[in-house]
Amino acid sequence: MMLRLALATLTRRRARTALTTAGVAVAAAMLLDMVMLGSGMRESFRGFIEQQGFQLRLTPRGTMPFDTEATVGGASALVATLKADPDVVRVAPVLGTKGFVQRAGTDSVIAAFVLGVDPAVQGDYLIAEGREIAAPDEMIVNAAWLSSTGYSVGDTVALAVGYEPQVRRLRGVRSVRIVGRGRFVMLAGGERAAALPIATVQTMGGDERRDRVSVVLVATRAGVDIEVVRARIERADPRLSALSTTAALRFVDERLSYFRQLAFILASVSLAVGFLLVTTLVTVSVNERVGEIAVMRAIGVARWRIVAQVMAEGVVLSGVGATLGLGLGLVTARWLNGILASFPGLPAAFDFFLFEPSAAFRSLGLIVLCGIAAGVWPAWRAATLPIARTLREEAVA
Amino acid sequence: MNPFPLLSCVLLVLGAAASRAQTPALTERRTITIDERLAAAAGLAVGDLVVLATVAGSDGDTVRVAAITRRGADPSEVARSEFRVRLHLDHLQVLTGSGDRVGRFAVQSRAGDERTPVTSPETVAAAINATAFGFRAYPAAQVAVETSATFRVINRFHRAIGIITIVASAIFLLCITLLKVDERRRDVGALRLLGVSRSSVVRAVVLEASLVALVGSAMGALFGSVASAVVNWYYQGFYATPLRFAMVTPGIVAFAVTLSLVLGVVSGFLAAQRLVRAAPLDLVGR
Repeated sequence: MMLRLALATLTRRRARTALTTAGVAVAAAMLLDMVMLGSGMRESFRGFIEQQGFQLRLTPRGTMPFDTEATVGGASALVATLKADPDVVRVAPVLGTKGFVQRAGTDSVIAAFVLGVDPAVQGDYLIAEGREIAAPDEMIVNAAWLSSTGYSVGDTVALAVGYEPQVRRLRGVRSVRIVGRGRFVMLAGGERAAALPIATVQTMGGDERRDRVSVVLVATRAGVDIEVVRARIERADPRLSALSTTAALRFVDERLSYFRQLAFILASVSLAVGFLLVTTLVTVSVNERVGEIAVMRAIGVARWRIVAQVMAEGVVLSGVGATLGLGLGLVTARWLNGILASFPGLPAAFDFFLFEPSAAFRSLGLIVLCGIAAGVWPAWRAATLPIARTLREEAVA
Repeated sequence: MNPFPLLSCVLLVLGAAASRAQTPALTERRTITIDERLAAAAGLAVGDLVVLATVAGSDGDTVRVAAITRRGADPSEVARSEFRVRLHLDHLQVLTGSGDRVGRFAVQSRAGDERTPVTSPETVAAAINATAFGFRAYPAAQVAVETSATFRVINRFHRAIGIITIVASAIFLLCITLLKVDERRRDVGALRLLGVSRSSVVRAVVLEASLVALVGSAMGALFGSVASAVVNWYYQGFYATPLRFAMVTPGIVAFAVTLSLVLGVVSGFLAAQRLVRAAPLDLVGR
């Protein structure tokens, strides 16, 4: 009965109800997008890190992985020491450097990011085509590298780790065979990359790179306290900074804090707009029906029924708006994610907007709660109308 | 990848050891500058001695902090959290074993005078690129565009958010105008029965909606200016940069006011049309 009355009131003025519902839908969509943005970046990055399967990243002290060109010497001894740690189950040393190759059929030189890895334990790429590296003179490259250089999987190329542009001379050249195409999980979209056995890259780099590493990835035993292992490693080797997954996420949070703050502000504004819209409509609706409400009260309809009917209007408006907003929000999130996908320096598959059902339904629940709250004031006003005076005033009007 | 490898080296060469001990050789030491974030984090002051090394923990060169610098308003540096140390070029070359190498040159083109007109940076860059090999020259404006890629993406994102906001505002404004007009159905019905023309009613409603939009946009501009000041204050502190993150320019105000007016006129017109299409007796409820 109450719901039928509320629906009858809403359908009496179809245009305004439709507009309010559309307004609530846009507010709900914006709220949903901002909730997705607020948590999406963090969860997306966590996915990347956990996909690698390593809990600790060891870098030259004071640096972040590949933020600088710093390296650590004595890599073999360092890896052996780490492997001897009973809490460590896997160690993956990585050496990063620049690599150069002549474009197929031309004399132009293409630069790329070259990773020296241990193929048996690496967590930097996933094979998309071909096979894993099995010999010192084999390498995996990504699609951007292949399209820039004009080579294909199976080709043999002359790869260098140094280039003197004034005399157009390549340094540290080695003939290597492309055995596969990989998807480098942590690299930005369009960034050219190649991976070779770490020993090969160290040898090609000469004295500068001999027995050196840029990053060492460490996987710990299940159930072990990561922070304890991290502190132990840092204590044992003062040349290193050990970065746990938690610290890496904290670092990402710090760098992308702007988006979280923006998401919080816009989500709050969306909630406020939704609340104002529903409040305005329900208040006007009550103002228009004071005579009708007074009559209902006069014939014995209980106060709580009047309150429930007015509040039901707010719930219906916000509920329908929130439902429409869910679809609209997913579409706009896709559009906004497409814009932010070109953010420099982030992995190509990084998602700024991540749909998590629980967070989405919580945010839409907030909109419905706003609808309920929006009905409180007009409902109270409707329920406390002086019956006789209102009827007299309405009759005169 | 960092395009300036030599500069990258600078970022990692600060050794942990710092001493304020005065030594007789103090005046002969090479000097460096550090940024104020590093000074605050490491507790360093002008005159302090620090050890610079290319590899953490290795022997390095003891140098004196000659100055503490503040970052310029450079968009490309905003989100970067590294510390910055600046050395004399020859000092860095020796320290890193780079020989006579550099990461980049900055070239200032000649200013024009009465006899010789000024040459554009693009022309100078093209001339250098045509005669030299092994490196490329870029006009400063192009470098600025390349290094502000982050901000261009954020700008596009802001525009998209702006479009959603405009859609929401348009709906909100139309809804409010419709409600206001609906509230006055009886008044308008009475006016129509007294002989006031449809066009007068439409003009009155449109005028009212335009005034609401105008006052609203003026308040919005004021609120935007305050919000922009707060945003600048917060983010300049957060990122330790003098860069201005938000600006309310006359062009933006003009755009916002024009857009509000257009939305006001359109919503007022649509609402008024609904009103004048109804018969006057229907409007007064008879």
